[in-house]
Amino acid sequence: MTNKTKGVEFPTPVSLKKTLLLALPMMLFTFMMLSAGKMPTDTNKIISLAVTFIFVNTIFFLMLYREKTDKYRAILFISYAVCFVISFISNLIEIRGSMAISQENLLLCKTPFCHIVIPMTIIPLALSKTIIFPGTMIGSFASIASMLIIWIGASLALGRGFCGWVCFFGGLDDGFSRIFRKPMIKHINPKWHYLPFAVLLVTALTSAMLLTPTYCEWLCPYKTVTEYVEVTSIKILIQTIIFVALFLGLVIILPMLTKKRTQCGLFCPFGAFQSFTNKINPFEIRINQVTCVKCKQCIRICPVFSITEETLNTGKTRFTCIKCGKCVDACPKGAICFHVKGTPLTGNADTFRLLFLYPAFLFLVTMAGSNIQDAIIRIIRLITTGSMF
Amino acid sequence: MQGFLLGLSNGLVCVAYCAPVLVPYMLGEGRGVSQNISLTAQFLSGRLLGYLVFGVIAWGINKTILEALGCRELIIGGAYIVLSVSLIIYSFFNVRTSCAAEHINRYFNKVKVLSPSLLPVIMGFATGLNFCPPFLLAVTNAAALDGLLQSLLFFFMFFLGTSLFFIPVPLIGMLRGFSALNTIGKIAAGLIGIYYFYSGIFLIFGGIKKI
Amino acid sequence: MGRFKSILGYTSAVLTFFIVLATFLGLNYFSAKLVSVTGIKVSPRFTGGEVVKIVDHKTYTTLIHRPVFDGIIGERKDGFIQIIWERRDGWPQVIEEKIDYNGDNVEDFFIHIETKTGKAMLTAYNPSVTGIEQTYVIKTGYAARILLKR
Repeated sequence: MTNKTKGVEFPTPVSLKKTLLLALPMMLFTFMMLSAGKMPTDTNKIISLAVTFIFVNTIFFLMLYREKTDKYRAILFISYAVCFVISFISNLIEIRGSMAISQENLLLCKTPFCHIVIPMTIIPLALSKTIIFPGTMIGSFASIASMLIIWIGASLALGRGFCGWVCFFGGLDDGFSRIFRKPMIKHINPKWHYLPFAVLLVTALTSAMLLTPTYCEWLCPYKTVTEYVEVTSIKILIQTIIFVALFLGLVIILPMLTKKRTQCGLFCPFGAFQSFTNKINPFEIRINQVTCVKCKQCIRICPVFSITEETLNTGKTRFTCIKCGKCVDACPKGAICFHVKGTPLTGNADTFRLLFLYPAFLFLVTMAGSNIQDAIIRIIRLITTGSMF
Repeated sequence: MQGFLLGLSNGLVCVAYCAPVLVPYMLGEGRGVSQNISLTAQFLSGRLLGYLVFGVIAWGINKTILEALGCRELIIGGAYIVLSVSLIIYSFFNVRTSCAAEHINRYFNKVKVLSPSLLPVIMGFATGLNFCPPFLLAVTNAAALDGLLQSLLFFFMFFLGTSLFFIPVPLIGMLRGFSALNTIGKIAAGLIGIYYFYSGIFLIFGGIKKI
Repeated sequence: MGRFKSILGYTSAVLTFFIVLATFLGLNYFSAKLVSVTGIKVSPRFTGGEVVKIVDHKTYTTLIHRPVFDGIIGERKDGFIQIIWERRDGWPQVIEEKIDYNGDNVEDFFIHIETKTGKAMLTAYNPSVTGIEQTYVIKTGYAARILLKR
């Protein structure tokens, strides 16, 4: 809620009653998505569903009541990433005894499809209608077609908000970037901001040239916490060294030192690719030129380098904005807000924020829900039986 | 396909260095868009001619030097390594190789007087002779191919890949956000350099094994 | 015009919520529809292509896939052929087989496999056969990809 004084809007406390009313629809929808339409009968599953439901709805309630987006989004987003890693690795060990992808898995095309592969598959898909990835089209966990549908839905609804609200890896980067209070490396040469686009160009082209997803084979740092090809040759050993080094550097060390999401903002080709979907997405972040005092706090705080002095002067962000809301929360003058394209800038910022939060939060909960529940079940199992499996 | 993709990945660099020299010169006449399109088409045909000449040269290198020396993998691998290192340095540091057209600028005025319609073609030919690392890598790659036709096809596809970035030139003069594309192109060229470095090392190991 | 853009903006913003709902509630339906309408499939360079010939032996079955030369446009000059040996009752220590992959009734190569260690040796009769790309020990038996050149 805001009140207008001399043409400037100041936030006023949101009432508890109104917050509960706004949160109620989300409770219904999250319950529907988390339970997948049927109540579990197993005790552990009931507990995990209840814990997850209370957790996510508390987050949403606080998001509305305290009018802070990023602070609470980050809690859920980071939890999601951690639970995803726990759940994924545990499943792999249960099914095949190891995180390593065997040659058999590759031969029989049983590799789960991840969204980061999508930019690499576009050129071969357009020219030959085939997907250059050893996965299953439909009917299995993380099948190609289902991930493509999720990607299309997220792109239409959120644009590059995918990186702030959907990506199951982003929370790792985000989490490590929040460990220290102040950054130790404050300045990064702006030319590095273009590295993700160069990586996108090169990996898309080399994938088309070699008919294999080159980013996945050579560069993806997240293989460290999901699955990787078992080392059976020098080439695979070199690939392993590269992705482990990139994980340590871009996902752990640099985010800690810079307080930025360096993997997402400085390397990930999917993020660069997804930036283009911001052009068709109805939501954006806008900066009110009247109330902005050019303190540049937003430039310092943006995790993916999407606000610069140039864009600040135009009242917009770069098209790489992930809509995490960090700048909105951080602005001391309340000059930054979510906005719906095409509508007047003097419109109600709270309405814009709500219109964005509903689809974004629901997407996040649906993606995170099963992973969080599975992780809770495994933790309960670990506590009660001494084993996660 | 390899030639096209090599050209595409390095095309931004080619445009970044050649376009600032040529575009003001070409468009300085103040002609309309359709005439600029015609000028650009002539320019590109000159460029294609330059590349095809090098396609023949690359095949000649294969047939003469490489076949005489015998150990193709070692020579091509070595060339890949040297050129890829220079490409990486060229990409990540502020080393500027000038466009060949800059150096023969003074002759353009003479040609303009003698045969004005040939001027864009000759300017295109001059830019096709730019000995920048991406171009030299293309020559090395083409020299590794067996037939003359393959070499010519490789350079034709390389030309197509680089030329895509010249298409917007007659429409908007200079690409908006040029510096961003310039930076992306340079970094991409450097990453391609890393790929060729790796290919070079494996080619050399393969060549050593054969010996 | 401003009012129209505003209505369009708010409508698209509200629609995003329904897009999210539709994405998840209709995930199975949309996935199947995407595949059936577009006809997209996993590249034969990964699947090995379709099985074109099955040879029955006493203790195992040989599945011969089609030669894969698929490129991004048309075909490439380098390709491979995938052969799978599926275990039946018992599993010989050694598999020795002559394979005719192109259906011209002339054997193209001979392969010798030691099933316990997974080691394989290839003798090519057809000059298009250039070597073994990779061998795989799989749960149901054994597989190999043989390199071909056009």
